[in-house]
Amino acid sequence: MSGKSLDNRRVQKFHWMSRFLSGWAIFRQSFLGKIGLTLLALFALMALCSFIPPLVDPMYQPMAGVDPEISTVTGPSTRHWLGTDFMGRDLLSQLLAGARVAFMVGVSAAFMSVFLGTAIGMIAGYMGKFADTLLMRLADIIMVMPALVVLLMLAALFGQLSIWFIVFFIALFRWPGVSRVIRAQTLSLKHRPFIEAARVAGASHLRIIFRHITPNVLPLSFLYMTFQVTSAIIIEAALAFLGFGDPRTISWGMMLQWVWKTGHMFNAPYWLLPPGICISLITLSFYMLGRAMDEVLDPRLRKEGQTD
Amino acid sequence: MSPTSSVTIESFLKGILCLAVAMLVLLFPGLSGTQSNAASCLKIGLPEDPRTLNIWLASDRNSRNILSQIYQPLYTRDPDTLKLVPWLAEQEPVFDAETLSYTVRIKPSKWSDGSELTSEDVAFTGRVIKDFRVPRLASRWNFIKRIETPDKHTVRFYLKEPKAIFLSRTLTTPIVQKKEWIKIVEKARGTEKPLIKLLNHKIEKPVGSGPFILKEWRQGCYLFLQKNKYFFGTGRRISGRILGPYIDSIIFKIYGTSDAAILALKKGSIDMFWWRIQAGYLQDLKTQKDIQIFSNEKSGLYYIGFNVRKPPFNDVNLRRAVATLIDKDFIISRILQGLAIKMNSIVPPGNQFWYCPEVPRYAEGLNREERIKKAYEILRKAGYTWQLPPVNGQGKVVKGKGIRLPNGQPMEKFTILTPPADYDPLRAMAGMIIQEWLGMVGIPASAKPMAIGSLIQQVKGRRQFDSFILGYGRLDIDPDWVRNFFHSSNDKPRGWNMSGYKNPDFDRIAEESASILDREKRRKLIWEMQKMILQDVPYIPLYNPRLIEAVRKDKFSGWVGTLGGIGNIWSFCEVRLN
Repeated sequence: MSGKSLDNRRVQKFHWMSRFLSGWAIFRQSFLGKIGLTLLALFALMALCSFIPPLVDPMYQPMAGVDPEISTVTGPSTRHWLGTDFMGRDLLSQLLAGARVAFMVGVSAAFMSVFLGTAIGMIAGYMGKFADTLLMRLADIIMVMPALVVLLMLAALFGQLSIWFIVFFIALFRWPGVSRVIRAQTLSLKHRPFIEAARVAGASHLRIIFRHITPNVLPLSFLYMTFQVTSAIIIEAALAFLGFGDPRTISWGMMLQWVWKTGHMFNAPYWLLPPGICISLITLSFYMLGRAMDEVLDPRLRKEGQTD
Repeated sequence: MSPTSSVTIESFLKGILCLAVAMLVLLFPGLSGTQSNAASCLKIGLPEDPRTLNIWLASDRNSRNILSQIYQPLYTRDPDTLKLVPWLAEQEPVFDAETLSYTVRIKPSKWSDGSELTSEDVAFTGRVIKDFRVPRLASRWNFIKRIETPDKHTVRFYLKEPKAIFLSRTLTTPIVQKKEWIKIVEKARGTEKPLIKLLNHKIEKPVGSGPFILKEWRQGCYLFLQKNKYFFGTGRRISGRILGPYIDSIIFKIYGTSDAAILALKKGSIDMFWWRIQAGYLQDLKTQKDIQIFSNEKSGLYYIGFNVRKPPFNDVNLRRAVATLIDKDFIISRILQGLAIKMNSIVPPGNQFWYCPEVPRYAEGLNREERIKKAYEILRKAGYTWQLPPVNGQGKVVKGKGIRLPNGQPMEKFTILTPPADYDPLRAMAGMIIQEWLGMVGIPASAKPMAIGSLIQQVKGRRQFDSFILGYGRLDIDPDWVRNFFHSSNDKPRGWNMSGYKNPDFDRIAEESASILDREKRRKLIWEMQKMILQDVPYIPLYNPRLIEAVRKDKFSGWVGTLGGIGNIWSFCEVRLN
């Protein structure tokens, strides 16, 4: 490898680093961003901690472990910090396991939908003409479909859906929004001088898309990803609450469903409130993170005096 | 406060009151006239609208609840003894062994439109069921050769062969009015698919002979039933009870969720909630001074069933091992919160006469470890092998892995189909727990909740399944269904024998039990059948939930509790204002 290209790499790495650092500097100034990130770190910690209780005692297994002495709903105690559910399972272990599921559902569904949305948006924007029309009409069709209702119908038809199927379907329903934004960005990038220059220099379409356009739309994709996480978590929670979630996983929506269906909605606040609050806070934290990233990416949103 | 401002507030409040009244009148225009005597109007909460008022189609609980106030049978069961007592009929049926016929005399009674209820109506009902092969009812009538009506109050049934279920099933069928149905029936007969035409006919104002008649139905809102002034039972003594109804009307209000209905009950907006109450509400309801809780047995059977037509469950040893691993006490005390009775046989213990207590019991009184060891022994002796046996060399229980069938093939992962959590969270949960228990010995089960319609289609229609958890909430007292559930002739698509159980000995005894008329002899046969089923375990009976219901006691009293809860015809004929 020639020394020149090595140099080139270093410069590029430095460029990325400096971009990240300057972005981070703006992010740090955002109050919302800081709260969002702190909350998110807390939830990540919860998800990590979810592996601990089953190691302490098998009765803390969130799904099948029951307290041998308790067989009904009980309030918080030293043995069960949040209390137990109707069959004597520990609520705290369930809440921690729920954080893991929320992250898994949220991040994987968002990642899949953003990946799809970005790819389709770039292709549509770059290719234009027929491909653009076809892909964007498809996006329109999917965009008007209510994801939750379709999922409910699928669950009614095919029996209970597995968690990965739910994740996949959320992703399938959520890409059009991303693809529209990415397409618009690609359209404006396409006519910039550096793309023209690449084309004149003989770069292939693939190279132009992946080498020159992708780096410029990726920040936008990541921004959208944070919003997608929010909606994915909410859709999963709603499905589980209505009784159509995957019963083999313990999610917060599932906890809410159990408290509702067993009739403890009004007499066991220690069971009802924690999952509800967690769903609200985790979606809020991703939203706040997104807002702060928005400020980083869009100079028009910044306050006076904030610079790169 | 100045007089002017108090006057203003007063007039403001009056204004609001007027507005509220006006809105009520607008919302319930039908009620404003009919609900004149609101005091003796019983208000009942229902979880959903009835799906239909067509008696031939009604199979859901809410429709049947409403229609049970309207259409009446010839005989019904005494709430205390559960014996059949004459209802529309005058006395016990008279049997003639020579001609194989039963003669029933009918009480002088009238339909809700004032016309007389005659033997013609009874014969008509029977003929419609037979000719159209009405689902759920046809099997009770298809052994009847002909029906004669010697006079207006006498009806005679000629049977093809002696049938034990004639009294308990055929004669408890609700009777419909010939005048109301004849045109509909004739019209349906002329079409290509007469049964579909009959079932799809929309009935708006059913003419009945029961204590109440339907006045108005607003979908999603309420049903208003008024006292039937022609009800034959009014003032009459049947089974030692002088019948009313002692109330003028009933309003059934529709509440989408149990939460809303129970709040309404606590507040006093309804006097009864006609639905099973989940354990979670009990604690709170018990502390309410105006609320009375009823806990009655159901004639139910909740069970796990196997597909014995194919591996792995074509092996009785595996089924017995599963029966050993299932801890019914855990399911009842934890999942059902103690509000259920353990089922050892497939006939519920509450059905004392027919219940056989001497059936084989699996793993009674064993703890988790002992269960696993016993199940391991059963499987090991039958030739099953493991990569990692659930009981190791030192006799300690470990998590088993890699189970192989006696033929050396690895056991493939199979599913336990359960109703979905939104339909019955308890059965869905029981499926999950059973999956975990089987997993302990390495049996690769996976619980799969499925919409109830698809589940029944899968199990009854397509018959492609490994195992399932289902339940019957209202089994008849007469145990003829034991024959139906396991007779090999019912192993057909949409047949009753969902397991595909085939046993010629069982078939022989079952057939004998259907035609024998001596109760004691029949009991012996039914006991024998129960023993066989528990020996071969095509079904493992799990539990029979108790029915918990709640009413307000500040306004009305007189509810009659019986097998199947307080929502029965006796209650509605006896409930009265305090």
